[in-house]
Amino acid sequence: MAARTPAPSLSRFPIFRLLLGTQVTRARVLSLLGLGLVGVIVAIAIGMAGDEGRPLVEDPVDLTTRGARFVSTFGLSLLVPVSALVFSAASLGDPSEDGTLVYLWLRPVRRARIVLAAAASSFAVAWPIVVVPLGIAAWATQGGTGLVVGTVASATLALVAYTGLFCTLGLRVKRSLVWGLLYIFIWEGFIATANETAARLAVRTYARSVLAAVADVELRFSSIASPWRWLVPVAVAVIALGYATHRLADQDVA
Amino acid sequence: MSWDIEGDPGGGDDVVAWVQVPAPAESATLDEGSPSTARSPRHAAPGRRPGAPVADRIVVDGVSKWFGDVVAVSDVSFAVGPGVTALLGPNGAGKSTILRLLCGLTVPSRGTVRVLGGEPRHDLSLAGRIGLVPQQETLFEGLSALEFVRFAAVLHQLPDPDAAARRALAIVELDGDERRPISGFSKGMRQRAKVAQAIVHDPEVVVLDEPLTGLDPRQRLHLISLFQRLGAEGRCVIVSSHVLDEVERFGSRVLVMVQGRLAAEGDFHAIRDLMDDRPHRIRVRSDQVRVLVTRLLDRGAVVGVRLEGDTAAVVDTLDAARFRREVAAVAHEEGARLDEVTPLDDDLESVFRYLVER
Repeated sequence: MAARTPAPSLSRFPIFRLLLGTQVTRARVLSLLGLGLVGVIVAIAIGMAGDEGRPLVEDPVDLTTRGARFVSTFGLSLLVPVSALVFSAASLGDPSEDGTLVYLWLRPVRRARIVLAAAASSFAVAWPIVVVPLGIAAWATQGGTGLVVGTVASATLALVAYTGLFCTLGLRVKRSLVWGLLYIFIWEGFIATANETAARLAVRTYARSVLAAVADVELRFSSIASPWRWLVPVAVAVIALGYATHRLADQDVA
Repeated sequence: MSWDIEGDPGGGDDVVAWVQVPAPAESATLDEGSPSTARSPRHAAPGRRPGAPVADRIVVDGVSKWFGDVVAVSDVSFAVGPGVTALLGPNGAGKSTILRLLCGLTVPSRGTVRVLGGEPRHDLSLAGRIGLVPQQETLFEGLSALEFVRFAAVLHQLPDPDAAARRALAIVELDGDERRPISGFSKGMRQRAKVAQAIVHDPEVVVLDEPLTGLDPRQRLHLISLFQRLGAEGRCVIVSSHVLDEVERFGSRVLVMVQGRLAAEGDFHAIRDLMDDRPHRIRVRSDQVRVLVTRLLDRGAVVGVRLEGDTAAVVDTLDAARFRREVAAVAHEEGARLDEVTPLDDDLESVFRYLVER
C-alpha cells in the first residue's frame, strides 16, 4: 500500500486559494510578465540616453514628468487594466461558464465570501505581475523616489478598482474579455478623454491624479482633488463587488 | 397490481398515478379545488394524497420553469420521501432543470419547491444538507481527487476534512493517495469524484444528475448499490437517468418526465409492465415471411401487418412477449428461417411518447 502523502492544504482561505490556482495559468502569467518587461525596457530607454548611458535630460523635474507620462500611458492605461481584466474576469467568470461555480455555490458559504475571495485572489496574483514591473520601470526612468512611490500607489489603487469592476463583469456577461477590452480602450481610452467631466468617469483619471500628486508633476486629466482621488476607486470596487454578491445570490447557476 | 388512472388516494407502492397535464389556464382553475382536480398533477403528487407520509423531504408544487420562450418544466408537482427515487425521461425532458430547482441553482418561474422544509434558493443552511452530482463534467482540473473532495469538506466545516474526504473517496473506490490531477482522470473517475464530493458531508438529500454516465459495468453496480444503501439509511436520494435498465436497478419509485411534464409516477415495475403492454411494432425478416405473418395473424399474436417485399414485414402486436414466443414456434413449425426480428419502437423516446399520448 502506498504511503499517504498529505495533499496541499486548502483548509485556510479555501476559496481564495482555489480561485488563485484556477487563475494562474502559465500563458497568462508569462504574457503579462512579458508586457511588464517591455515596459521596463522602454523605461530604461527613456531614462538613459547617450553613448555612455548618461541621462538625456539633465533636469530632474523633466525626467520625473517624462517618467510619469510613461507610467500613465503604459502602466495606468494599458498594463494595469488589461492585467486586472485577464485575472479578475476569469476569477468568477470561468467557474460560471464551465459550471464549476456550482461546487462553490452549493455550500453553506455566504455569497459575499465567494465574491471577496475571488477579488482578493485576482488582486493577489495581479499585483506582483503588474505593480512590481511598473515600479521598476518608474525607477528606471530616473524620475526619482516620488515617481516610484506614486507609481506603486496609483497602480495599486487602479488595480483595486479594476479588480472590482472586472470580477463583476466576468460574472455578469459572457465573453467578458471582449467587453472589458472595449471598456478599457473605447470608454476609458477614447470617450473619457473628451473633456475633464467625461474623464471623471474613468478609473485611470483617479489613478493618474494620485500619480501626479505623489510625484508632484502635471499630467493631463489629473485634476481630481484629495480625498476623492483616493476614495472613488475604492468605492467603485466596493460597489461593484456588492453588485456581484447580489448577482451571485440571484442568478442561475449552471 | 392495480392501476389508478384518476390518481391514487391510497398511494400504494406498486401503483402508477397517471398524470394528465392541463393547460395553464386549466391548472389555475384546478388549483381552486374544482372536483376535476382528480386528474391534476397536484393530485398525482403523493404529498397531496390523503394519508400520505409526512416525511416528504422534497415537495414540488405546481412548478413551472421557462427560459425566455422555452418552457423547460411545466406545472410539475410531486413529493419525495426517504429512499431512492428515479427521475426518468429522455434528453431534454426537464430532468436536469428539476434537479437544479431542488438544489436552488435556479428558481421556479411559478410554483414552489421545498426541500427539508426550507426554500433551497435562499436558505443557506440547506446547502449543508444537500449533496449534488451535477451533470457537467468540468471540475477543478488542477486539483487531485483528494483536494477536490476535501475542498468540499472544508467548506462544509467538517471537523476532520481530510479524513472525511478519504472516506468519501474510498466509498466510490477512488484512491485518496492518487496525486494525479483531475485533468488526467477518465470520465468514470470524474463521475466518482463528483459522487464523493456530494456525499462527503453526509447529506440528508442526495441529488444525482445522470451519475452513471461513463462508468464501466462494475462501477455502475457499485454506485447503484451505494445509492440503494444511502436510501435504505433514510436519506432522500433522487437520481436522474434516461436509461430504462439503469432506473430499474435504482429502486422501486420512479418519476417519469416527458417534455417538461410529469407523465407518470409510481412503482417502476408497474411502469415497465405498462411499457411492455403497449402496442409494439416489429420488423420480421424470413425466407417465408408471408406464411409466418399469416399464421401469426391467425393465432392473434399480431394485429397488423405491412409487407416489405417478399422477405420482410412490419407487424403490430399488443403483446411483445407473446409475439416473441409465437414467432419462434411458428417458424419452427413451418420450417422457416428467421433472419431478423427487430423492435422498431423500443427506444425510450417512443416509450415516453406512448406514456404521454396514452
